[in-house]
Formats: sequence, structure tokens, C-alpha cells
Amino acid sequence: MVQIKNLHASIAGKEILKGLTLDIPDGQVHAIMGPNGSGKSTLSYVIAGREGYEVTGGEILLDGQNIMAMAPEERAAAGLFLAFQYPVEIPGVAMTMFMKTAINGIRKQRGEGEIDALDFLKLMKKKQAELGMSDEMMKRAVNVGFSGGEKKRNEVLQMAMLEPRMAVLDETDSGLDIDALKVVADGVNKLRSDKRSFLVITHYQRLLDYIKPDVVHVMAAGKIVKTGGPELALELEKTGYAEYAA
Amino acid sequence: MTTATVTKFPEKSPYQPDTAEGILRAYEAFVAEIDDQPQWLADLRKSSLKEFKRRGIPTPRLEGWKFTNIWPLVKAYGDKIGQIKVSHDNVDGVIITPLLQMLDQDWVKAALSEDMPPGQHNTENTLWHLGNIYLRNGIVIDVPANTEIKKSLELLTSAGEGAFFTDRMVIRLQKNARLTIVEDHWGKGAFWKNRLTHIVLEPGAKLTHIRIQDDSDKSVYTQTTNVHVGRDAVYDAVVLCSGAALSRNQVRVTLDDTCASCHLNSATLLRGEQLGDTTILVEHRAPHCQSNQNIRTVLDGRAHGVFQGKVHVHQPAQKTDGFQMSRALLLSEGSEMDTKPELEIYADDVKCSHGATTGQLDQEPLFYMQSRGIEEKTAKALLIQAFVAEVFENIEDEGLKTALERKVEAWLKL
Ligand SMILES: Nc1ncnc2c1ncn2[C@@H]1O[C@H](COP(=O)(O)OP(=O)(O)OP(=O)(O)O)[C@@H](O)[C@H]1O
Ligand SMILES: [Mg+2]
Repeated sequence: MVQIKNLHASIAGKEILKGLTLDIPDGQVHAIMGPNGSGKSTLSYVIAGREGYEVTGGEILLDGQNIMAMAPEERAAAGLFLAFQYPVEIPGVAMTMFMKTAINGIRKQRGEGEIDALDFLKLMKKKQAELGMSDEMMKRAVNVGFSGGEKKRNEVLQMAMLEPRMAVLDETDSGLDIDALKVVADGVNKLRSDKRSFLVITHYQRLLDYIKPDVVHVMAAGKIVKTGGPELALELEKTGYAEYAA
Repeated sequence: MTTATVTKFPEKSPYQPDTAEGILRAYEAFVAEIDDQPQWLADLRKSSLKEFKRRGIPTPRLEGWKFTNIWPLVKAYGDKIGQIKVSHDNVDGVIITPLLQMLDQDWVKAALSEDMPPGQHNTENTLWHLGNIYLRNGIVIDVPANTEIKKSLELLTSAGEGAFFTDRMVIRLQKNARLTIVEDHWGKGAFWKNRLTHIVLEPGAKLTHIRIQDDSDKSVYTQTTNVHVGRDAVYDAVVLCSGAALSRNQVRVTLDDTCASCHLNSATLLRGEQLGDTTILVEHRAPHCQSNQNIRTVLDGRAHGVFQGKVHVHQPAQKTDGFQMSRALLLSEGSEMDTKPELEIYADDVKCSHGATTGQLDQEPLFYMQSRGIEEKTAKALLIQAFVAEVFENIEDEGLKTALERKVEAWLKL
């Protein structure tokens, strides 16, 4: 479903991704672990289409289609989703309004009509309840005044609402207490299906106890340097990244 | 006898008296038509005429006009003096009378005779003189004491094409009266409209004054509002300004007595070659008064925004709470914002703050929204609406608030 081929990307003239290759088939969960600054978030932004990155080589295919020339919203409509490492606050834009605009934005791009207002509210209520988020929070501006953990839950809520084909979760576990981690992992597991794939970026093996990955990659200095099964995460927990130092 | 103040000015004059001639071409014909006026008004007209001839149209050489050059846009309007028509529904409890029928009332006479704003703000206002010279149209709005008017009074101001228009509104809310006025401007074509408004709020009164200026982008809109706020009275103003090739909104609020307060909220949305100028003077003359200015300007194309705001705290005005914030959003490279915030404080126990920012839309929220499938244009519109929304926060009437938000939305869709 997602193929990243020999991706090179730089920011401010500095090459961060240095020939990264990754293949995530339908229905699989892949985890990426790697030292700080190795380029994990950069990869997630380049996948989502953020401006400011210069892609100097390689390509990303979604269901065989090259997405490199697509705007972020077009990628969203094509089924991509990024749960941000640092979710962004948007003062003055209420959560419900934001969510509805997002759903309708995607529907419009897909040539579908707007979602029925009542259906939307029902859907929102259901997903909110699953993630333990109150109505009051949904009335607030996007992420404004949310605690670190609430922001991460909110990322998963948005993912659940938008039902992407492919989701990248960038350290969605960091900042979560143990109970919240379970709630968030449940949220992700509910969405697992043979039609949907995940790329889970994390520093901690613990998350992978809850979200069982099919494949674990180690990323260092802008490349995938090792690929293995779930046991690789356990191994890293013990040995650290010393042997992958660039 | 009432006359306008005659001020001396330095040798090297910042004025351009030669501009007066052009604007006054229609004067002879105009006065010939006026048959019946009290002597004091004839005198006021005459002394304003003298002043205007000495100064002419304000020039950018005057400190208070340095960002706004109106002469090139108004010089074509000297030949024809038009009549402004103000239409409104009748609202129970509000007394609305044509100005000319109220000239024998002392309070109306006092209102018409007060210079606004005064020279000390250096926003030298010969537009006031011009209003006096051509004083004819206008209405007086009066609300008796202890009357709370629930229904808002809507005033639609229309002006025909190709002329200069000036009118006066004199508004009084007597003790503890409450009223909401919605002033609507959406004239078509090219014209110059110069409105002067005088507002007196007696103790405990509250006026919510909403002004929507969406005149054609070929027109010139200048308006001067002079507000006196009495003890415990409140002046709540909300402006949404998106019209006119050039607009100049001048407001002076004088907090005359203890615990008076004013909230001046303004949103200006401009594009193309438009210029929008908001110039405010708040005078704190008594203790325990509060003033609040919240100015938002959104500029696209080659539009030019101006905000000049001054809080003047006089010596007796201890415990003053004065706040002023101007934020401008530049949507294009060619747009421009000039701000001049000023504090002048003569009392020692006051809390005053002011700030001004000019910036662009934040890229982070924009990308965040796009990554959720929201198209760039929509994402920008949402951010701009959020930026402006604060200006409408104080409006209690939900219907009115929504109507204003819809207008912002509509502007964004253009
Ligand atoms: N705008 C920028 N300008 C210059 N360098 C940048 C910029 N953004 C990121 N970098 C650099 O790119 C490198 C990779 O950053 P990235 O955020 O992708 O790392 P990461 O693997 O996600 O790290 P962490 O585990 O700490 O989240 C870092 O060295 C970072 O300093
Ligand atoms: Mg990161």
C-alpha cells in the first residue's frame, strides 16, 4: 500500500533523509524506532506533504500512485493521516467545527456530498466516548488548553473520525499515563483492519505491547538501518542504539 | 453666540487652504436654499467656513493624517452636495426626530457646537468644519430615562452617486437607558460621505453601537464620532469595516465621570487598493474608569491599514484601567499596516497597557488543518475568522453576532 523508495529530503540545505526505503503492505503495522534527531518526524512530515522540505530524490507511492506532487489536503483525501508528535493549537477554531470542516473537505475532494449534521454529531459522540473525551473539550478551540495527554488522545480521535487508509503515528505514546496509553492503543487497535496500515514511531517498547507490530525498523541518520520482527524492539530496549551510531 | 474655535497655527503651515476652494464650489447654491435657521447655527456655519478656508482638507503633513492622504480621492466632489437619507423602523420607546426640528433644544445645540475631536489629539479635524458648513441632514435619537430598549434600532444610510454628503447624528441616552444601534452603510457607486455623530450617555446608560461599513470600493467614507460617557455609563462599539476606497473612522470617547467605561472593538477587512484608517482618542477624565480598544485589521492585495490610538489619562483619573491592542494580519506581500499607539498619562495610580502586532498567518495551524483534509483556502478563511472573532465577543445578541460573522465569511469568499 505505501512504498517509500530511496527518499532523500533536506531542510534548510541540510540533508535529513538519506535514501530511506520502506514498504508497508495493506493491513500491516510497522514500527520505527531510532535515536533523537535521526529524522523520524521529518519522514512523517514529508509523507504528509509539509512545505519547506526539499525532496531531492526518491518517491512515495500510495496504492501505486506517486503522491509527491500532491498538496497535504489531497493526501488526506487519498487516505493519509499523520498524528503529530506536537499537535498544533488553533485558537478561535472550535474542535467540532474543525472536525466537520475536515470531514467535508475530504468528502468534497472525493466528489461526495457534505455529511449530514446529525450523522456527524452521532459519529463524533461515539468516537469521543471510545477515547474518553468530554463534550466540553469538543467545544473548546483545537488543542487549546488541552494537556499533553489530551492532545495525543485528540490526535487519535481525529484519526478515528477520518478513517484513513494509512496512518503515521509520531510518538503518540509520549506524554501519556499508563491508562491513557491503553485507551489510545485500544483506539488504534479498533481501527486495525486488513485494508488499513499504520506506521508507528515510538521510543518505547511498551506501546508495542499494546499495538502489536508486524515489522520493526530501526532508523538512524536518515535511513532504515535494520528491519526485524517484534523481538527487535525488545532487543533495542536492552542494547540501545550504540551499534547503529552514524 | 456659539462659534467654532479659531486656532492660531505656525508660519510654515501644514495646511492646504487651496483645497478648500474646490470643495466649496457648491456652497453658494447650498446656502441660498437654506431659508430658516437660528442665528447660532448661521454663526457656526460661518466660523466653520472661515476655518475651513484657512486649512482646507487635512494633509499628510499633519501629524494625525500622516498615513492617510484623502485629497486625491475627494477633490472631485466639490460641485454637488447630496442629501443623505437615513431609513429606520420605528422602535417603541426611542424618539427619533429630524435634526432641523431640534435646533431649539439646548442639548442638541451644545452637541452641534462641540469641536471634535479637539486639536490636542493632533487629529486636526476640518471634516467637522465641513460638516458644519453643509449642515442640513441629520437625525436626533433620544431615549428617555430608565428605558431599556430590547429591539435594536437599525439605521440604513444611503447616498446617491457622484456627490459629497454630510450629515449629523445626535444621540442621547438618558439616565439608565439602554439601546443597541446598528448602523448600516452600503452605498453604491462613487461618492464621499462624511458623517458626524455626537453621543451623550447619561449616568448608568448603555449604548451598544454597531457599525457596518460596506460602501462601494469607489467611495470615500469619513466619519467622526464624539462620545461623552457619564457616571457608570457604558459605550460599547463594534465596527466591521470592509468598504470604501478610503475610510477614516475617527472616534473620541471622553469618560467624564466615575466608573464610566468604553469598549471599542473594530475589525477592518481590506483588499485591492483600499485604505482603512481608524483613529481613536480615549480621554480618561475621572477616576475608576475603564477603556478597552481591540483592533483587528486584515489586509490583502495592496491594501493599506492605519491605526492610531491614544489613551489620554488626565490628572484626576486615578485608578484608570486602559487597554489597547491592535493586531494586523497581512495576507499579501503588497499590503501594508501603519500603527501609532500612544499613551499620555498624568495620573500616577493607573493600569494601562498597549500593544501592536503585524504578522502573517501562522504556517503551523495551516499545515495542521490541511493535513486533515481542509483545503488551503478554507483553512486560511477559518484562521482569519478566528482572528477577527474576538471583536464580536461582547455582543450579547446572538443573532447580531452571527450576522456579523456571516459578513466576515462572505468577505472571505470574495
Ligand atoms: N527547520 C529545521 N531546520 C534545520 N534543521 C531541522 C529543522 N527541522 C528539523 N531539523 C533537524 O533535522 C533532524 C531530524 O529531526 P526530526 O525531528 O526528524 O528527528 P526525530 O527523529 O523525529 O527526533 P525525536 O526522536 O527527537 O523526535 C534534527 O537534527 C533536527 O535538528
Ligand atoms: Mg520526532
